[in-house]
Amino acid sequence: MSDYIGHGGKPIVERVLEKDKAKDAIQGLTQVPVRRQIAHEAISLSYGFFTPLEGFMTWEDVNTVCTEMRLSDGTVWSIPILFDMKAEKLKELEIKEGDSILLTYMDAPLAIMDVEEIYDCDKLTVCQAVYGTTETKHPGVRRTMECEDKFLAGKITLVNEPKFNEPYKSFWKTPKQHIDAKKEKGWEHMVAHQTRNVPHTGHEWLMKGAWFAANEDLMVDELRTGVLVNCIIGEKRVGDYIDEAILLAHNKLNEAGYFRPDVHMVTFTLWDMRYAGPREAIFHAALRTNLGCTHHMFGRDHAGVGDYYDTYAAHHLLKQVKDDLRIKPVFVLEWWYCPVCAEVTCSALCGHTKERQKFSGTLIRSIIMDGVKPTRLILRPEVFDTVMECAEKYGFGSPFVTEKYLAERQPIFTLEKMEVGKA
Amino acid sequence: MAADIGINIWINEERYEKLKEAGLADMAEEVLAGMKRIQIKCTEEQKDEILKKYPSAKFDASTTRTIELLPRDVKDKIFEIAIAKKSTGPEVIEEFLKG
Repeated sequence: MSDYIGHGGKPIVERVLEKDKAKDAIQGLTQVPVRRQIAHEAISLSYGFFTPLEGFMTWEDVNTVCTEMRLSDGTVWSIPILFDMKAEKLKELEIKEGDSILLTYMDAPLAIMDVEEIYDCDKLTVCQAVYGTTETKHPGVRRTMECEDKFLAGKITLVNEPKFNEPYKSFWKTPKQHIDAKKEKGWEHMVAHQTRNVPHTGHEWLMKGAWFAANEDLMVDELRTGVLVNCIIGEKRVGDYIDEAILLAHNKLNEAGYFRPDVHMVTFTLWDMRYAGPREAIFHAALRTNLGCTHHMFGRDHAGVGDYYDTYAAHHLLKQVKDDLRIKPVFVLEWWYCPVCAEVTCSALCGHTKERQKFSGTLIRSIIMDGVKPTRLILRPEVFDTVMECAEKYGFGSPFVTEKYLAERQPIFTLEKMEVGKA
Repeated sequence: MAADIGINIWINEERYEKLKEAGLADMAEEVLAGMKRIQIKCTEEQKDEILKKYPSAKFDASTTRTIELLPRDVKDKIFEIAIAKKSTGPEVIEEFLKG
């Protein structure tokens, strides 16, 4: 059996054309410039991050994802992967079902899309099903409602592989490369940590606790379990940590010895968070299955926003579909600092509920924003130093996203320019 | 209206010195693994006004009931008013918003 089996027991398929073939294949195709989100998702689809999907969804898939949380072939899937376009643009470019079109990004060819279907979709119905609300203050709802009025479905083939810039280059792996890396490290179990934050000690201990859970009954004379920190790199908002700081600060945890390098690996996935809470948790389970993970940690209010979802809604939804997943959820409770225990500890274990000192990523961002160095009990000094170095090197003096960073940040990747003959 | 919402001003050495000079060092409380802060209280109305003025700030309604991620210069200004008024009550934010 192939080593590259992903979500739903389906093979991970890479749809990437070699350079020479790509140059020929793109000639004469209608060019369609796409925005960042679509470009990132086209890249993810091509490498198999969204296995079993090989392209943007058909109406039938969107419909069953909304109504049954499954693709039309029965595979569990929770978030529609949509490619939207203005009706006028479709008309202007004379795009019709059966055509192949060339998606371009940053003025360079990116991928060929074989247009299988062009359809209408009721965005409010999608929002209600996926986010449980149609309120536009929900960022996922806002994103969906901002979609254009027509949707295109069809397989995607990458014709121009992205060249990642540092520090991204050091952490980029395709799904197959993730699986190869797991094998090289000798890991039988790999537990995913979902993050878009710089790690504080609460995160660190959450990961350490998950390592023990994921190790299960494996012998410990030779370690065969690893933690995969798979950072989400996508849309940024003012006040978020800059992407470079997230990657390098996580990696610092193993460079500085808080994790042994042989049980810890940092990578990233290009994805814009939808903040769909429980449904996003299901998506994360599928995504990390495609990276070779056997386990995935899910904390409180996983991928939630505001008070839209119950604290442990993701846990309950995961439990409902766990027999259809190839990844075991590791359910984790809240971690806090206890001055009596004098350590970071877990709400499932520590009895000093009156003395507990809750902390959150937001609180620690607030401390750093005040120009105050957090104590090593809540943020490792090496992590703090890395964050501040990133501020100087990548963030125009700030470890947090600013308007300047949004406008002038170094690109995550570049695309080679290629000659394309006219249609 | 009850002033039950907080704005944490985290205390570094510089701020601690200023608190000491003003005889307010006792206002600094240890809240998180050795981290010290003073917490300026504000009302629901003041909170809304602050969030409107500084959209990058966030109100943590579920865990701490505090306004976080205010820019540093804003915190510095609020801190100075707190020192001048020798208070952490909502009158500090009232004066800040007037300014």
